[in-house]
This record gives sequence, structure tokens and C-alpha cells, in this order.
Amino acid sequence: MELRFFIIRRLLLIIPTLIGLTIIVFVLMWSLPHTFLASAFINPKAPNRAQQIINAENALGLNQGIVLGYLHYLGNTFTGNWGYMTLSNPIKYSGTVLSGIGLFFPNTIQLVIFAAVLSILISIPLGTYIGARPNSLADHLGRIFSLSFYAIPVFVLAIVFQVIFGQGVIAGNPLGIFPISGTFTITSQIAISPPSWLISGVGGVVLSKPTHLIVFDALIAGDYSLASNAFMHLVLPVLVLTLSLLAGILRFLRASMVDAANSEYVKTARSKGVPEGKVIKLHMRRNALIPTVTVLGLLFASLLGGVVLIEDVFDYPGIGYLALSTILSGSIFGVLGTTFLFGIVLISANLLVDIAYAILDPRIRY
Amino acid sequence: MVQETVVRNEGQLQPKRHSRFENANSTFRLFLKNRLAMVGLVITVIYFAIAVLDSVYPQWLGVSNLSTALNFIPGHSANLALPTAPSFSGSWWFWLGTTYSRIPILPVVLGALRIDLAYTVLIVFVGMSVGVIVGSIAGYFGGIVDEIVMRVTDVFFSLPFFVFALAIVYVLGFSFTNVVLALMIIWWPTYARLSRGLALETKSLKYVEASRASGASNFRILVSHIIPNVLSPVYVQISLDLGSVIQLFAAIFFLVGSLGASAYPIEIGYMISTGESYLAQGIWWPVIIPSLFLLVFTVAVNLMGDGLRDVLDPKLRR
Repeated sequence: MELRFFIIRRLLLIIPTLIGLTIIVFVLMWSLPHTFLASAFINPKAPNRAQQIINAENALGLNQGIVLGYLHYLGNTFTGNWGYMTLSNPIKYSGTVLSGIGLFFPNTIQLVIFAAVLSILISIPLGTYIGARPNSLADHLGRIFSLSFYAIPVFVLAIVFQVIFGQGVIAGNPLGIFPISGTFTITSQIAISPPSWLISGVGGVVLSKPTHLIVFDALIAGDYSLASNAFMHLVLPVLVLTLSLLAGILRFLRASMVDAANSEYVKTARSKGVPEGKVIKLHMRRNALIPTVTVLGLLFASLLGGVVLIEDVFDYPGIGYLALSTILSGSIFGVLGTTFLFGIVLISANLLVDIAYAILDPRIRY
Repeated sequence: MVQETVVRNEGQLQPKRHSRFENANSTFRLFLKNRLAMVGLVITVIYFAIAVLDSVYPQWLGVSNLSTALNFIPGHSANLALPTAPSFSGSWWFWLGTTYSRIPILPVVLGALRIDLAYTVLIVFVGMSVGVIVGSIAGYFGGIVDEIVMRVTDVFFSLPFFVFALAIVYVLGFSFTNVVLALMIIWWPTYARLSRGLALETKSLKYVEASRASGASNFRILVSHIIPNVLSPVYVQISLDLGSVIQLFAAIFFLVGSLGASAYPIEIGYMISTGESYLAQGIWWPVIIPSLFLLVFTVAVNLMGDGLRDVLDPKLRR
């Protein structure tokens, strides 16, 4: 099968998964008292509240049985009518769920991009190096490193790093150079006259144009001091996320490298005199990457869990922090919306992983 | 037993097979040779021994008698006192220092571990049982059953389990039981997928076919051939999952604690969150000591799982 057809088939397989995801989120919603759902769906400050609640009941299909209710839910989800949320703790926000997510999501993308790229860039050469030298000193150090960072709860790592490297946490600490919360410092100058590329957002979150990723936008606008400030804010959360992801990839890559080293094709390659560097790169690493890529999807799921914890510790206004706020503020449609969004993110990540897998291993296309 | 049937039915001469017991015995001997795995096993056994001992003799640690333990709750700030550092003078209770309100860490951590371990085992065991049964049935019968089970597990794998667990807990209402329930709901698909693949492999093996040819019912084949063969990779998964589940469990209660929720049973993640605010003053033990207990347990079960995998995977035995 050509790669093109594989991708089309894989894209079609998303449909049942997506239906399953909507069913689960719908069941979570439907199991709650329906009067509560109707009143939670609308803006609490809207005029003519009684009429609004009746409208919400109709929009959600609350009195029309579970099947029609589900169809209404599908319709609402795919037309962007995700309901209303009023958050008070710790994020203060009031508006529709979808626009709230639009506000917080870019920050998480920024965090995850940096962490994913960094951990893949470090883990593949490092895993190749130590996997090709099993039981050497480097291998033992690498294994101790990866197992311990795998086993340290990510929230403990976050709070310890916050204390050791956090700016102003311990007075006179020479290592404390990184800001510990938020995405960038809002100086009085920015507060009074924000540059045109900063759109002042709601709930203390500031959106930027055009990419919505503040570090890149500041670079595009040429404001290097703001860019470096925003970058410094990213260092600690990215570092923690990278370390936990790195440990997972490294553990797996090392094991796969050792497996590959014991295989017949590597022995054949060696015995016919292929240079060692080529054996490691072309025979061992390429084969070891295949099982590693398959666990990448699973690792990404735990990465998203880590995002929630890290954003909580660093007060980082991303969707993890938003998801927590929706739970704490008791906003049901906020909870459902963020859960659905996390599902979509993971489905897309798994799609990318599978495509990478197909490119790497031509066998699975058949 | 069954292997003998095969020999008789096919009328061939075959070397005498080891019984399952002998196999287990040689597997265990191989396991004993793996030092790291043994370290993992010993540590895990110690953890469980302490937990069981504490459940059988509650007065031994005396956590339940610690009336002061109630002051763990952040709201009880009336009798705040700065924690004391670990010191080996005085009662063993105070060897690892105290949290604020002068609650000794060591007995409370051990008591919290008991709760964590008990629920972790419960979650993994329920998830495993449901997953193995559903997965084996799906793999064995194939067809529409298999298709449905696989699509359902696909959906579960497309949900980030941590966020999903939080959402379930929110909908069910926050309580200890519901956290456990939520984790059970998200934990079975791993086992279902694992055992489905293995059941698929096993069902085409000669002795299963022979058993079917000699008239064994589907139920009998499932129970006495498919499921026992599925189990050995499942043991590895159980061992690794003990580490993941205890961490997830602690993470949920860490969030609960750090976001300032009210009273819950003493739990490791919750303890860590109550110590967080003291870290900057150089008071590290209320955070680091419970974390170390969690870390050592996770490392131990992972070493044990890796060792088990090496032993149970015949490819690696060469």
C-alpha cells in the first residue's frame, strides 16, 4: 500500500474514535441532573433568564430522550456551541467555553512544543549512544538517570525545581534566576500602553498576534526583551516536562537498542564487515526506533497529565490550568469542553505517531 | 495434563514436557539470579509487609490514635508550629522530623502508604481482571465482539487518563471512593488490549486446536488454555502498573491538596502538597521524605517488572 492510502485509511479510523469520545463525554454530561445542565449552559447574567433556560433545554435536547440528546450534543459540539463557563478559582473568567479554550490553548501548545522537541532531540542520540554500549559506565548512568526521573512524581520535580531555580524563592540564591509563574512579566509600561500585537485578553491572559505563541510573536514584532522574558518564564515548566518525557523515551529506546543488538541482522551486518558506526545508525537505531515510536503515543498521554500538574504548580495559564479551574469553579460545560479538547489533542498526536510509524516501517503499510 | 492429551491424540513421540509447576520453579530460579530484580522484589515485599502489619496491628504505628493527624488539614491553622527537623533522638516517630503542627512524619507516611498501597492493588487488580477477561474473550471469539472491544479500548486510549479521571471524579462527586472508581474505569483497557493480542496468538496454537478437536467447550478452552497463557506478560504489566497507579493516585490528591480542598484521609500526595509552602524556608523534609517513599516504591516495582520481563520472555533467555 502506498503511504498516501495508509494515511487516508488512518484518517478514516479517526471517525469511530471520535464518535466514542463524544459518547463518553456525553454520558458524563447526561448523568447529571438535567435542570442543573440547562442553567449551567447559559450566561448567568443574561437578561430574561427563564426564557434562556428553556432555550438551553431545547438546544441540549434535554427533554427528548438520550438518543436525540446525543445528536443534539454532537450538533452543538461540531457547531462550536460548547456552552458557557464562569470561573472564579484560580482563573477568573466568564464567557463561552470555546473562546476560553482559545485563550488558554496557545500557551499549552507553546509548552508542549518546546518540551517534545527538546526531549526527542536529546533522547535519540543519547539513547543510541548508551544502547550501543550496554553495561558500560555511560549505560549505567543513563539507566539510573532515566529510571529515577521516570519514578519521581512530576509534581515533586516541579516544586523542587521551583524552589531551587525560582527567582526570589530563596533570598540570595545564585541559581534562582527563572520566574516561577505566568507566561511573561506584565511591566507597568506594557500595562499602560500595550504594543499593538498584544491583544488584551480576559481573565489575566494576554493573547498575542499572529501565532498566539508569545515567544514567537515577540520575536516577530522585534521586541527582544519581552521575548527573552517570556522565554525565561518557559524554562522551568519546559525543563520539568522535558525531563519526565525524556526519561520515558530513553528507557524504552535503550531497551529496544539492546534487543536490536542481539538480532540476527546485526550479527550479519557485523560479520560481513559493515563499519560499526553504520551498524549502530542504520541497523540498530532504525529498528529500535520503531517500537519506541509506538510508545510515544502512550508517553504523550502521560505528558498531557503532566501538563495539568505542571501548569498547576507554575500557575501557567494553559488548558491544564483551565481544566483545573473548571473543576474547582464547578463549571460542568467547562469540564466537558476541556476533557473533549484533551481527547482531540491526544487523537491528533496518535495520528501523527502512526504516520511516523508508517514512514519508518514500510512493513506495516501492507 | 493437556500436553499429554496432545501426545496421545497425535500419536507422536514428543520429549517430556515440564509441568507448569516445574516451569515456574525454573523461572523463579532465573529471576533470583537477576540482582536488580531481586532488590526490587525485596523492597516491594517490605512495603507490603509494613502495610499488612499496620492493617492487622493498627496500634503498632498508632496512626489511627494520632488525634493530631487531623490537624493536617490546611484549614486548621490555629495550632501552627514550625516543623522540627529529622533527628534520631527521642521516639522513632520523630526520626524523620515533623510536618507543621508537629505531626511526626514517619508513622504518618507509613500509614499513608498503607492506604495508597491498598487502593493501588485494588485498582490494578480490578482493572486486570476485567481487562483480561474482556480481552481474552475478544481475541478468542474474534469477529464483531473483537471489533467492538477494540474500538472501545481505542476510545479509552484516546483520552488522556489523568484529565479523564478528574472529569469522572467531578461528575461522580469528589470522594475517596470515586477517585478509586475513576481509576478503575480508566485502567482496564491496557489489559484488554494486551491480553487480546496474546489470546489471538494462542488460539491458533496446536494444543488449543487439539483441545477443540477433542470436544472442549469454548468456556473450558478460555479458562484452561487461553487465560493461563495470556497471564505471563500480564504479570509484568501488573508490576509496572503498581508504580503508575500509585503515582496517579498521589497526583490526584496532590492537586486536591494544593488547590486547598478540605479534609481527606492521609495520603502521600496530599502530604506532599501540605508541605509545599515550607520548602522555600529550607524545610525540605515534609515534601522530600514522602516523595522518597513514593520514588523508592516506583523504582522497586519497575526493577521487578523489568526483571520479570527478562525472565518470562523466552527470546531474552538465550
